[in-house]
Amino acid sequence: MPLILHGLSPIHWAAAGAIISIVTLALLFLANKRLGLSTGFEDVCSLALPLPYFQRKAVVSGRGWRLPFLAGLLLGGFLSAALAGGWSPTLALGMFDQRIGLGAAGKFAWMFAGGLFIGFGTRLGNGCTSGHGIFGLSNLEFSSLMTTIAFMAGGILTTNLIYRVIF
Amino acid sequence: MTFLYLALGTVFGFALSRSGAADYDFIQSMFLFTSFQLYGIIGTAVALTLPGLWLLKKYGKTIGGKAITIDMKPFNRGNIAGGLLFGVGWSMAGMCPGPILVNIGEGKIYAIAALAGALCGAALVGVLYPTLQKLFYLPKM
Repeated sequence: MPLILHGLSPIHWAAAGAIISIVTLALLFLANKRLGLSTGFEDVCSLALPLPYFQRKAVVSGRGWRLPFLAGLLLGGFLSAALAGGWSPTLALGMFDQRIGLGAAGKFAWMFAGGLFIGFGTRLGNGCTSGHGIFGLSNLEFSSLMTTIAFMAGGILTTNLIYRVIF
Repeated sequence: MTFLYLALGTVFGFALSRSGAADYDFIQSMFLFTSFQLYGIIGTAVALTLPGLWLLKKYGKTIGGKAITIDMKPFNRGNIAGGLLFGVGWSMAGMCPGPILVNIGEGKIYAIAALAGALCGAALVGVLYPTLQKLFYLPKM
């Protein structure tokens, strides 16, 4: 199966997993920080909303590494596209386009709704695929095991409902 | 150090972009069990990070000689409810939080809508925290 991005063949899963692991361990060894990306949403919220929840230690103390790291994710995506055949804005969305469609406005609305679930869910659950799924599981944390089971269950149910029942 | 974090993020983002971890179709085929790719990525990442983390904790200090400190995440009902809701969002958008930014970087315009939604969702948790805290036994602020 090709990537949506320029129809590229993906790199081997073992290589990707190894890179993720190296970055995770480097962040701890070099900077004493546990990987966790969804807290970055709160970083951004904390710039606009003076609520106590957004001023707590986990948010404020991570700002120095998390904001540049998140900027790196943007840059990494940009370089990946630019080096593979050129960067250009696109609305291509693979099997969503083939099976659901909805047009541009519908796609934006769908993505906004998905984003709401991501933002609300990751903050209520105190983490996402990186903080719970990779760091937390590797650190044998019970809350990470339970959260990972919950978000995998939520994803499996939703995708199967969308692509095997509705569309 | 800012440059180091930027560089680590760039490598991480590049790997997510080229491996399928930031690709809508690969996320759907993970949840449909029609592709092993994402299970392989996450499984390898955990299989390598687990012993690495154990060794680092045993060694006990960072490169600069500081003691390694890891804040453990407490367990509460928010983990289950929040995890389920996040799973719905991961499926709908085909992106988890890091890949939202990777997709924007790649030029996938719709990912900006996902980011806007995610920021609104996180803001909602902040606004409703006193209520959610009672409902899900979350830590006090």
